[in-house]
Amino acid sequence: MIHLQVNNIFKNFGGLQVLNGVSFEVNGPELIGLIGPNGAGKTTMTNILDGAIKPSSGTVYLNGQRVDPLPPYEVAHAGLGRTFQVTRSFRRMTVLENLYVPAMAMDGSRKQADCVEQAMEVLKFLTIDHLRNEFGRALSGGQQKLLELGRLLMLDPDIIILDEPFAGVHPKLMEIIYQYIYRVNEDGKAIIIISHDMDTIFTLSKRLLVLNYGDLIADGDPEVVKNDPAVIEAYLGHDDEDFADKLVSSNGSEA
Amino acid sequence: MSLERKKIPTYLGYLATAFLLAFPFVYSRADYDFIMHLWITAFYYAILASSWSLLAGYAGQFSFGHMAFMAIGAYGAALYSNYIRFVTNPTGTCTEIPFFGQYLIILDAQGVTSASNSCLDIARETLPRGTVITQPSVWTGILIGVLLGALFGFLIGRLVLRLRATYLALFTIGFSEILRAAISAEIDITQGQAGLELPPLFPVGIFGYAPTDKLPTYYVMLLVFIASMGIMTWLVNSRFGLFVRSIREDEEAAAALGVNVVKYKVRVFVITSTIAAAAGALQGHYIGIITPNILIILQMSLVIAMAVIGGVENIYAAAIGAIIIQFVLEFLRNSFDIGPFVIDMSIWRLVVFGLILMLTLRFQRNGLIQPLLDWFSRSDVAAETVAIRQQESIGEPGGGEA
Repeated sequence: MIHLQVNNIFKNFGGLQVLNGVSFEVNGPELIGLIGPNGAGKTTMTNILDGAIKPSSGTVYLNGQRVDPLPPYEVAHAGLGRTFQVTRSFRRMTVLENLYVPAMAMDGSRKQADCVEQAMEVLKFLTIDHLRNEFGRALSGGQQKLLELGRLLMLDPDIIILDEPFAGVHPKLMEIIYQYIYRVNEDGKAIIIISHDMDTIFTLSKRLLVLNYGDLIADGDPEVVKNDPAVIEAYLGHDDEDFADKLVSSNGSEA
Repeated sequence: MSLERKKIPTYLGYLATAFLLAFPFVYSRADYDFIMHLWITAFYYAILASSWSLLAGYAGQFSFGHMAFMAIGAYGAALYSNYIRFVTNPTGTCTEIPFFGQYLIILDAQGVTSASNSCLDIARETLPRGTVITQPSVWTGILIGVLLGALFGFLIGRLVLRLRATYLALFTIGFSEILRAAISAEIDITQGQAGLELPPLFPVGIFGYAPTDKLPTYYVMLLVFIASMGIMTWLVNSRFGLFVRSIREDEEAAAALGVNVVKYKVRVFVITSTIAAAAGALQGHYIGIITPNILIILQMSLVIAMAVIGGVENIYAAAIGAIIIQFVLEFLRNSFDIGPFVIDMSIWRLVVFGLILMLTLRFQRNGLIQPLLDWFSRSDVAAETVAIRQQESIGEPGGGEA
């Protein structure tokens, strides 16, 4: 059973309080949206969960194991995977090699030949299998995003954090990423999606976390959260009665 | 066809190895010793350039300290052979440690100009008859030099973990210069610029060859070269190679994907410094004298230039580059006349070398050898990509839209 427990996380960079006692839990294969204005602390939260930075105080438990003091690679081994806001494929390695890295890092006995089949399946699903022997740098921005998602499939973590998976992505690609998210979720993994694209957030997530300048100001059903006055205040800076409608644009995803 | 082409460099490699193994017995011209010397030195530089390419090209650790590890190997071996003796009876005058029924003696440092006798000379008069004093084995010294190289590689590797690019380069220059300054300063122990002498690799000769004959050294250096290439080939084709390249590309992303960045960065430092130290210790014994000048920045730059001209992201390209540059630099020494002008190539050759380096960096960033190797291994990738794409478009209508 997947269980992530985030207890009272504080983080400050010098005088800047970035996270201000954030607590939440993830139970089972949830599909969670994490939103908040720029500077809200979303990426800092991701970096703390991932082990890249240490919280000033507070703890994180993943499946019962305390992970906040661990380096990122151990957090990955404990079962948490993430993408980066700016795609970070291994540019001078082939697409297949990009996929071998997490697979072989997770399983010390696995050789490249043992990963080929799984890697090809992942690439087919992401529609970039024809690029298998090209270097990462030869891929377009969108394809690199897909490659990053593919690496996560090879890592096979319990919880996946996707940092802005839809930024700069055209509709067809977006469709593939949607399918990816549903498939991974159906495979029993929890997913936290960070996005500014409210349409997708409201379409995908069953639960919404809202960060605002270090405070977790809302946590719950998206329908409830989007009518929360504090959330409206945080996003528009003033009370706006029509905000809920503005958050979700006219394409009818509000149901 | 494509499969065959991929194998061509491997076959050429076997061919080259066979040529090098046979060379000392088939070459017989008057300049035999000179050519053999060029080969030995070429192997020495090839070991250094290829191991540096593993560190800088594969792992992205652009270190200027590689020659420092080489020097640690050389001085480790030299200090051992100069200051360690084994004696069957205690001297009473030297620092001595019981050692498997004998005594391990550490001679006192004499400096360059000292006229006084060493502790062992003094003890000689009182030592009982039949006392045997043995010079330590050259190979033990080399082993100690290599182990010291590994140890320092580990320490420096730990220290530079958080340093990137320029900072790593500056740090390693600093380390290298400190080492050079320390060796220059400790004249009593290292003889400074006067140079520390080492016995030949085979002090009493071997298989009928005299200690000064080049052939045994040629084979030792060649075998170490082949062994280091073999070890590095195995490494770069294993998970080690995959992980250090991912670290080069993006350390944070590699860590997030489960790669133990610290472990592999330290490992690559230890492995490459060990190889560099082995090359240094062997070359020290071959040349017979070492000075702090073996690790000046210019020497480091030469190794880097060799690797860059060959191709820094491929250990074979770097090694071939080193061998070619070594021979080119030597043969460019031949001065010639243009009309009334005498072109003194002993000086101008370095200008030519510099120009090759500049042109390579400007127009052929992957080096001159690496693209050739890539042509064999990767030239069919583009065609393959297109072929699969077309096949899929036909297979599922509309699939090629994206």
